[in-house]
Amino acid sequence: MSNKRIAIVLLMVMCNPARAPANSDTGGDVAAPYSPPFVFSAFGTAGAVHSSEDRADFTGSIFKPNGAGYTHSWSTDVDTILGAQVVAHLTSKLSATFQLISLQRYDNTYTPKVEWANLKYQLTPDVSFRVGRIVLPSFLFSDSRNVGYSNPWVRLPGETYSLVPVSNNDGLDASYRLQLGDLTQTLVATYGRTADNQPQGGGSEARNQWVISDTLEYGAASVHAAYQEAHLTIDSLNTFIDTFRLFGSQGAAIANEFDQANKPLRFASLGAMYNPGEWFLAGEWGKTELHSVLGTSSSWYVSGGYRFGSLTPFVNYAVLTAESPKSNPGVNIALLPPDLVPIALGLNVGLDSILGSAPTQNTVSLGVRWDFTRDVDLKVQYDHTRVGAGSSGTLTNLQPGFRPGESFSLLSATIDFVW
Amino acid sequence: MVSARIAMRVVRFRAIAAALALAFVSQTAIADVVAVVSAKSPITTLSNAQLAEIFLGKVGRAPNGMRIVPIDQAEDSTDREKFYAKVAGRSPAQMKSYWAKIIFTGRGQPPQELSSVTDLTKRIAADPNTIGYIEEGQVNDSIRVVR
Repeated sequence: MSNKRIAIVLLMVMCNPARAPANSDTGGDVAAPYSPPFVFSAFGTAGAVHSSEDRADFTGSIFKPNGAGYTHSWSTDVDTILGAQVVAHLTSKLSATFQLISLQRYDNTYTPKVEWANLKYQLTPDVSFRVGRIVLPSFLFSDSRNVGYSNPWVRLPGETYSLVPVSNNDGLDASYRLQLGDLTQTLVATYGRTADNQPQGGGSEARNQWVISDTLEYGAASVHAAYQEAHLTIDSLNTFIDTFRLFGSQGAAIANEFDQANKPLRFASLGAMYNPGEWFLAGEWGKTELHSVLGTSSSWYVSGGYRFGSLTPFVNYAVLTAESPKSNPGVNIALLPPDLVPIALGLNVGLDSILGSAPTQNTVSLGVRWDFTRDVDLKVQYDHTRVGAGSSGTLTNLQPGFRPGESFSLLSATIDFVW
Repeated sequence: MVSARIAMRVVRFRAIAAALALAFVSQTAIADVVAVVSAKSPITTLSNAQLAEIFLGKVGRAPNGMRIVPIDQAEDSTDREKFYAKVAGRSPAQMKSYWAKIIFTGRGQPPQELSSVTDLTKRIAADPNTIGYIEEGQVNDSIRVVR
């Protein structure tokens, strides 16, 4: 910490010798919040996870190619992350934030990627605008999605947070804070797009993405609500669905039903947390409507913990439910010329397997966070997941011999730090 | 004889316990951490909840509408630990995790830190828009206790 302070002081001296730490006018509207020219900070998590299911991988994210279970008995790829950030206060109202993170990517490398790169204009203490790569505020814990040290658990509840698996948005947002007595309300409007690469090849893109999110804070209580729409394209699924168009009008009808094109993804969430210090209670609900082969899913979780000095044990219960039909008759092969039947059968099986694999699961988690020294914590967590009949849950990389609908357990340990 | 000796020991133990309890009580009384503003500031009193909102960066203004800038003591200071336990019920690790969430989305920075209580007192005395916390025993005429 002292090295960091020294670095900041040196930078202050080098970059802006004339800048006073803060002014001491008595006028009333003059005191500036603390904003040194440059602030460097870093965070990270080193983690290892073991899964009892060895015919599939638990990855914790659809953007990771492999994880714990089949590929590794103990995987360090699921939770391990390193982040480095610089914030530059360019003027009293204009600041820039740049953050790089390194974690297991779609291509199985840890090549750093840009998590944030934005300019923020603080018009008044309560009104600000940002442009660039900014947070996508879908959830209560969206702000700390990558920062294990800020979260009570080893990882955010996957049932709920997998509904919107991305954390950032390229575009702009506007934030308005309103103080009503002891109640603080922060309303944020976000617009832009998010693009990512998928481990199975191709990319995914959410265009015309907008979110309205509102956070209410009253003492130790906070409530977050969000509504989001976007046009989602997933290359690998599009290619598959478009193949149905080879089969005349009935194929086109199926393609239109399951194609995401021109149909918005809709997402809504409502979350709340009460954290008076000695204990916490948190819960969140979310629902994603895709009107495509990926269907509609809803999820919720509740979590509570109690702090005994530096130890904070917690318990969670999380549920993920697929609400769309899990099967479709597909192309009627009786109407097809014989040479097209094998292709149609293949497509039908493929469609059914995508529909049937829509994740349905619930997880009970028990764990403890230990703040054993300054700026570093150690967490241990046990999860038991019961998977819905015919579903593979949130597991990926399914191998021959994998049996859908079987429960599995995870044992995880992480060390989180902030600097 | 034996019982008399035990009785003596009990008496002595009680006396030591009482002395320790007294020492502990007076120690905590002396070491109580109070929130302070400049003697020139119009603010006279703030609730724990209002202090928590100011020091957690949730508001930039005091209840009377004037701009207010919190100043922290050093991260390892016991005053700081006591202050946040008192106004927000949070441990140092919980405060760190709270600020990490804000820092790592670029939403803001924690209050400026001054490690010297003398510098802190001078700074607050000179700037009516600042607020800090110190041990009650270190309060002087240039600053006012608001909690």
